[in-house]
Amino acid sequence: MRIRSALSAVAVGALAVTMAACGSGNGGSTGDGGGSDASGGADGELSCGEITFWHYEGDDSAMNQSWLVAIDEWEAATGGTVTVEKQTFEQLQKNAKIVLTGDDVPDVMEYNKGNGTAGQLASQGLLTELDDYAADYGWDSVLPSSIQTTARYDEDGLMGSGPWFGVPTYGEYVTVYYNEEMFADNGIEVPTTFAELEAALDAFVAAGITPLAEAGAEYPMGQLWYQLVLHHADRDFVDAFQLFDGDVDFTSGPLKDGTDTLQEWIDKGYINPNASGLTAEDMGVAFIAGKYPVMVSGSWWFGRLNAEISDFTLGQMIFPENSLNAGSSGNLLVIPTNAKEKDCAASFIDTALAQGAQNKLAELGGLPVAGDASVITDENVKVLTQNWDAIVADDGLAFYPDWPVAGFYDQVVSFGQSLLNGSKTPDQALDTLGTFYQEGRADITGE
Amino acid sequence: MSNDAPSIIDPTAAPAPSRGRAPTPGRRPSTRVYWLYLLPGGIALTVVIIVPFAMNLWYSLHKWKGGLAPMRWIGFDNYVDLMSDDAFWRSFQNSLWMIVAMVIVPTLVGIVLAAVLFDVVGKNIGTRTASFLRAVYYLPQILPIAVAGIVWNWIFNAETGALNEILRSLGVTDPPNWLGVPGLALPAVMIVLVWIQIGYPTVIFMSALQRVDPELYEAAEIDGAGWYRRFRAITIPQIRPETFVITLTCTIAALKVFAPIYVLTRGGPEGSTLVPSYYTFLNFFDKSKIGYGAAVATVLTFVIIVVAVVIQSLQARAERREEEGR
Repeated sequence: MRIRSALSAVAVGALAVTMAACGSGNGGSTGDGGGSDASGGADGELSCGEITFWHYEGDDSAMNQSWLVAIDEWEAATGGTVTVEKQTFEQLQKNAKIVLTGDDVPDVMEYNKGNGTAGQLASQGLLTELDDYAADYGWDSVLPSSIQTTARYDEDGLMGSGPWFGVPTYGEYVTVYYNEEMFADNGIEVPTTFAELEAALDAFVAAGITPLAEAGAEYPMGQLWYQLVLHHADRDFVDAFQLFDGDVDFTSGPLKDGTDTLQEWIDKGYINPNASGLTAEDMGVAFIAGKYPVMVSGSWWFGRLNAEISDFTLGQMIFPENSLNAGSSGNLLVIPTNAKEKDCAASFIDTALAQGAQNKLAELGGLPVAGDASVITDENVKVLTQNWDAIVADDGLAFYPDWPVAGFYDQVVSFGQSLLNGSKTPDQALDTLGTFYQEGRADITGE
Repeated sequence: MSNDAPSIIDPTAAPAPSRGRAPTPGRRPSTRVYWLYLLPGGIALTVVIIVPFAMNLWYSLHKWKGGLAPMRWIGFDNYVDLMSDDAFWRSFQNSLWMIVAMVIVPTLVGIVLAAVLFDVVGKNIGTRTASFLRAVYYLPQILPIAVAGIVWNWIFNAETGALNEILRSLGVTDPPNWLGVPGLALPAVMIVLVWIQIGYPTVIFMSALQRVDPELYEAAEIDGAGWYRRFRAITIPQIRPETFVITLTCTIAALKVFAPIYVLTRGGPEGSTLVPSYYTFLNFFDKSKIGYGAAVATVLTFVIIVVAVVIQSLQARAERREEEGR
């Protein structure tokens, strides 16, 4: 027993294995909206008994609410029942690899997207290949191509190519939140171009206000950096940086230009150097409290901002003049290899992509991958979703800066702290980052 | 913590009656039965310590990403790489600072605190007050480290933290960025560690002081020795066994410290608070360099073994000298 748990502990270590994608993007078609019908599918009339569904979203979350709609619709259409077993994120993250080797596995399961997580399970043969279902149900035409990237994994568990192993039902992206009152009170126009954004930030600094809420001890600083890199980048850069399709230059081009811009922003006082020790939570709380006029961060903040901000009006915009933005699909619905009711599970996943569930997601600001923004009544939710639709329609999701190589997250955090603390020049900091990236990449591609 | 080295509690302090006696005639046949009693411990030792350690050693000789990925034998390459790894050396350098914060400072402060509580507070104000204060000093040891870490994070927060709010109210216009700047984060972490640790030596030393024969103090007092003199000549030598226990257990704890770093800084900013066990964790779970992480863990284990042996032999030598002196 103990030996087994010792081995399990080792196996858990294996779960954390993170690799990065290689190969190019895939050939899925683009376009959002549409959805697919709940009762369709290869088997025509499907009669189902009980299926088990594991997920870890909170009761009030948009995801859970939309899945509840899917459950109702699916149960009505097939006569089956869905038994939901709530898990915690940590639990699944650490145990999935061990649990899924057994017989007592769920038929449908939520799992984190990405190489280190779903990719890992896929490469270990623990997830069912969904290619046939994807073709039969038309998922490959419903889901936009940059959303499909995180649904497909090759034999090494690298995203972007290979068979389908999971289906995302929602998405997420990095956007610009701002405090409308602070702009108005200081007589500053809300920017629409990058130059205007910098002018607005300058104006705040001149008024004695640090404009950007930031956090250097966690992901936000790295995402701001990546947004600035993307400002200078095109899709080829993203393919090279994220999917290893081409060489990445750390001494010139987007990475150098973006880093120089970030350094300029720090030097001009857009960011408080104290941010180097602050967490994402600190950043969000300070923005909600109205201490900073602008916060560049993910759509995952939206629900909380929309609910908790009462002293000012929340504004949102896509990072000005960025055709590429940090973001990706949300978590995946997967079918374990040892699942017993695979056909029924696939038809349930299809129901989660159908109009009913997707529109529920849209209403609640959950960023559906195939929803209809016109059903949304809340003005803020509408803006959030329209911006999302615009980015997706433009093939503008560029994933996250820490995705390419294993262990890159800490490097990116440390990189941002070096710039904030002024302990390294942008060139030195980039050099350190580049060395780690190239080593990690060589490790993965075996070159 | 105390189970790290149960065997070094001073055997001369209170010898069990049966220990020194010659084996009785009836004892020899039953020794075999005694082995049975060792069995559960032996099994646990094998399963919990020996097997994982051997596996760790085995992994450290491979390049391996974990899971079902292929393992490639690379001999001692991981160890060779370690020698030129700045992060590895920095982590062990930080271990020395951890020893300062978890062993040296708490032990010194603990002796003084224990003596003050025992001699001054206990005798002049009352043992209840002394017990109460002892409990207060021990409180951080009971508090879950995750909770303590979050609270200290609030205190050290550069923008809204209690510490900087106080400094600002005292007129400091630009208070330090405690956990955000490499030069300050390590001292800040050390302050937290001292705060956590201080109760442990205090409690042990107080119980040690109760063990010291009061007649020694009375005799010294009659001879005209002052408090400091009695402290130097009687207290310190009398509680030497406890000092060794504390030094050993705390040094081991300092070398393998993980949770406070994980909760407070995650080894940052810019790697300035990296410690060996956290570096192992990073390699295992984040970078998925299982072999490399195992190599760091193995080195750490050997360092701990060496340190433990050195401290134990120092203790043995001190005891020998004491015996001879008698």
